[in-house]
Amino acid sequence: MRHQLVALFFVFFVSAGLLISTVTVGQVSSTTEAAYMPPRTPEGQPDLQGIWSNAVLTPLERPDQFADQAFLTEEEAVAYEAQRNDETFRGTRDLDAATDVAYAYNDFWWDQGSTIASTRRTSLVIDPPDGRIPPLTAEGEKRRNARDEYRRLHPADGPEDRLLRERCIVWSGGGDLGAGPPMLPSAYNNNFQLVQTADHILILKEMIHETRVIPLDGRPHLPGSVRQWLGNSRGHWEGDTLVVETRNFTHKTHFQSTSEHMRLTERFTRLADDVLMYEFTVEDPVMLTRPWTAQIPTMKLDGLIYEYACHEANRGMVGLLGGARAEERAAREAANE
Amino acid sequence: MRSRLRYFIVVLMATAFLSSCSELAPPADELSPSIPRTATGEPSLDGIWQALTEANWDVRPHAAGPALLPELGTFSAIRPGLGIVEGGEIPYQAWAAEKQQENFANRLELDPEGKCFLPGVPRATYMPYPLQILQTSQYVMVAYQFANAVRTIHMEDPGPSPSESWMGWSVGRWEGDTLVVDVSSHNDQTWFDRAGNFHSDALHVVERYTLMSPDHLLYEATIDDPNVFTESWNISLPLYRRVEENVELMEFKCVEFVEEKLYGHLRKDPSDDVEVNVVGVDPD
Repeated sequence: MRHQLVALFFVFFVSAGLLISTVTVGQVSSTTEAAYMPPRTPEGQPDLQGIWSNAVLTPLERPDQFADQAFLTEEEAVAYEAQRNDETFRGTRDLDAATDVAYAYNDFWWDQGSTIASTRRTSLVIDPPDGRIPPLTAEGEKRRNARDEYRRLHPADGPEDRLLRERCIVWSGGGDLGAGPPMLPSAYNNNFQLVQTADHILILKEMIHETRVIPLDGRPHLPGSVRQWLGNSRGHWEGDTLVVETRNFTHKTHFQSTSEHMRLTERFTRLADDVLMYEFTVEDPVMLTRPWTAQIPTMKLDGLIYEYACHEANRGMVGLLGGARAEERAAREAANE
Repeated sequence: MRSRLRYFIVVLMATAFLSSCSELAPPADELSPSIPRTATGEPSLDGIWQALTEANWDVRPHAAGPALLPELGTFSAIRPGLGIVEGGEIPYQAWAAEKQQENFANRLELDPEGKCFLPGVPRATYMPYPLQILQTSQYVMVAYQFANAVRTIHMEDPGPSPSESWMGWSVGRWEGDTLVVDVSSHNDQTWFDRAGNFHSDALHVVERYTLMSPDHLLYEATIDDPNVFTESWNISLPLYRRVEENVELMEFKCVEFVEEKLYGHLRKDPSDDVEVNVVGVDPD
């Protein structure tokens, strides 16, 4: 089953990934943060426009090996970056061909970047100070367990049982737990584009062309009765930082085990011509014992974003459900023998 | 008689007054509502726009018709319209005219709109959903409500398209106050409407966006496809600004609405109620 699934995933990714962008990540400029003045739009706002990459090898949560350490020294950073590069699928190229194919992916497909965060932090999570996502509430545990149990019993009864990314609804790294907003890196196409006008900002994620057009005019959020997959976003400027507040999520996304009660605050600050700091805070009083914050220094790309038509070529869903039915038939036949 | 004379005098005086004022009046072109412009002087197309036309049922003139499924009653019945095609007819090659008829007969199964596929250009423009334009000097972005579709119109040469795609490869330029967009690299999967009007991957569209007033955007397109048509043809329609104060581009991610249509036959138990299968517990 596992290999079959991997093979089906392979077919899905190949057919769905119509266009994979070829872009190069710029180097962090040596400009100091304090001295940097971002360029301005004709309306006088800080100009955050461009195509940015959030591909980064720093893990979301702090690994055990750095228990009490928030930052790496320069030497440690070099060693850890090498370790992270090793931990991705690069090594499979040295395996024999059959094993390599069974793994399905190597770096020809992955585009997860080759560097850790330029901040040299040991995790993307910066708060709580231990670099870990805070525990769930009792109610949160209950809901998560119910969901896990449902999924265990109904892995592929119908399309609704599959991951949101397999359905081409919301893309995520790390299964449905990664499905945002916010924007976490996934296996490839870790690119997003910001377009600014005087009263709106558009955020286009390359992965499955998730697009948010965000008003900056101070209007209230949509009524709570209106729920959207990507939530409902409102933006404003705090100094040179663009702040985007999003709520009205559905009960069908579970970003890091949050619920429809999630409130998300994203902050975009241009620290250099080629560095846009992306920080987000997740709050969910029903699911989380406290809010948490993560930070990703995103890098300016010299390239374009291309169309990623996911749903239109979703042969993977047909394969996943068809495969599950075939296995059930085989099990029934075996039982009858 | 007296009253007619009085009337004559009044008209005479009024005419004299108006002609004496004419030198102070603004030039005629400024009497029409002035259009919004960007800091660099181009017309500003920013805003949320929507077509008010029945062209998505058929881009040609067409009468009303019933819905595809009798149980729908008037829901999704064909709404009558004069069409948006200049001259009314699409110059199909003979085989293509037949193919369009087949498409129409099988539209419930074949129309990519019904599958929530990216709608392509020009159809995305006149579907009954709003679109939002964000204009900068480098890009004109068009975000369409339908299927969360989005298109980048490159105002600086992006080089050749690397591949065909659903929404095509758009390169724009200003000709006076008109935004002209060359759209190439289409795939052959999109349609022009629910009537099965279609094209091949040789489709080439040149769009022209012209602000006629602050709230009225003229959309014209020349459509060429030597594999399907005998000559190029034109469409034109106005887009109207959505002027509601609180208007915003709400989400229409339609994939989940078509999963039953596309994958229902692969369910464990096809009679299952879809709601029962939804992962996640709604606590409310």
